[in-house]
Amino acid sequence: MQLRDVTVRYKSRRSFFRHDHYTALDGVSFTIKEGETLGVIGANGCGKSTLLMVLANIYGVDEGDVIWHCRHVSLLSLALGFDIELTGRDNAIISGMFLGARKQTVLEKLDEIIEFSELDEFIDKPIKTYSAGMRARLGFSIALKMQSEVLLIDEVLSVGDENFKHKAETAMTHKISSNQTVVLVSHSMLQIEKLSNRVLWLHEGKVKTIGDPKKVISEYTSFMDKTSDH
Amino acid sequence: MFISKAHLLEVFFTKLVFNLKSEASKTHLSYVWWLLEPALMVAVLYFVFAVFLDTGVPNFVVFLVCGKIPFLWFSKGIVHSSNSIMEGRGLITQVSIPKPFFPMVVVFQDAFKQTVVFIFMFAFIIFYGMDVSWVWLNVIFVILTQFLLICAIALLVAAITPYFPDFNLLISTAMMALMLGSGVFYSYKDMLLPEHQQLFLMNPVANLINNYRMILMDNMPPDWTSLGSICLGSIALIVVMMRYFKKTDTTYARLIAQ
Repeated sequence: MQLRDVTVRYKSRRSFFRHDHYTALDGVSFTIKEGETLGVIGANGCGKSTLLMVLANIYGVDEGDVIWHCRHVSLLSLALGFDIELTGRDNAIISGMFLGARKQTVLEKLDEIIEFSELDEFIDKPIKTYSAGMRARLGFSIALKMQSEVLLIDEVLSVGDENFKHKAETAMTHKISSNQTVVLVSHSMLQIEKLSNRVLWLHEGKVKTIGDPKKVISEYTSFMDKTSDH
Repeated sequence: MFISKAHLLEVFFTKLVFNLKSEASKTHLSYVWWLLEPALMVAVLYFVFAVFLDTGVPNFVVFLVCGKIPFLWFSKGIVHSSNSIMEGRGLITQVSIPKPFFPMVVVFQDAFKQTVVFIFMFAFIIFYGMDVSWVWLNVIFVILTQFLLICAIALLVAAITPYFPDFNLLISTAMMALMLGSGVFYSYKDMLLPEHQQLFLMNPVANLINNYRMILMDNMPPDWTSLGSICLGSIALIVVMMRYFKKTDTTYARLIAQ
């Protein structure tokens, strides 16, 4: 995937005819190579989430181009398109399909999903009867088991109680470190350093640096320390 | 990003079936309501207009049923789809999906339930003692024309509402005006001046209702010229809207998220 001078502006309405403009991404250019994991770091509101939306072709750009050399990019979203009246099984099917899989593929993976989610017989109950934790476990299991050429992850590496959290994190880490192309947004420098091949630092919508994880992260942390001192 | 059109269709029909399932599971009588709702409405019309307020107009209840049921299908379809893109917020901000998906799911969902309603309506009219003939089969073309019209208008209102959320409030008023202007409760031949009748029939909903009545009450074939014009107009609007959605696809996610 390639981004060339990508600019995204938001418009928020102040009154009937007046709008405020705010530039979320400002002339961003970089390339994502096949099989790599690109970490994205930056302070709150620097445009990280907007960047993922652009890569997933959910948001259009105001200027510049995005070139996809792949067929399928998906944002890792938990509980995508869940309907609380439907059973866990039905929700897993539709959610998996929205994440980009064909129905047959989801059906084949359904047993793995149910097993990973540890929902057992609850899978055939409507999810309105689930606890928040159970819903999160189901959502996570679906997202984990679905395949995508490029996976975009925004801060969701694990969910659930202590036991499940550990299992989920291990599985997700394994998925990221495999040959999968990943763009990972996280506030945890530890995770970013551990999982990324390269790191992109976004600052106020612009690319500050991109390159070796250790180097970029140390620049970023010293920069953040300096600004918090002021 | 969806891999292919076939995949999108697969998601569409799965979502459609699941929505119907979900809707039914919200009530105790579930699927029975699809039949019960029109049955109750017809019962009310029957008691009010055939028993208490018997106006002496022959078959007035059938006349009302032939107007009210198709009209309700139209108005429900439009009201439901007008907010469909906004309600799809959860999906639109998470996946790249063509936006006509949302109004179309709603329209197909309503159409599916409507087939049950129509079967009930025909049964009621036969039970009431109207003559059935092969001419009745023509009603299929009127139904299909109405379906195309609903698709076209649904796409249009669904496209507008995210830009002007206030538009949604206008729709219920517009539907009230449309009901009064479509001759649900009166016969245009008796109530309107001859020079206004042509204008009245330019309203596609009024025209369709007139066709339902011609077939089911008078055993006459439909007005093919009108049906053809409504079909062509609807298809043209559908094509225009599809192109519009294709061009503006990614703007909706940003519009909704802001």
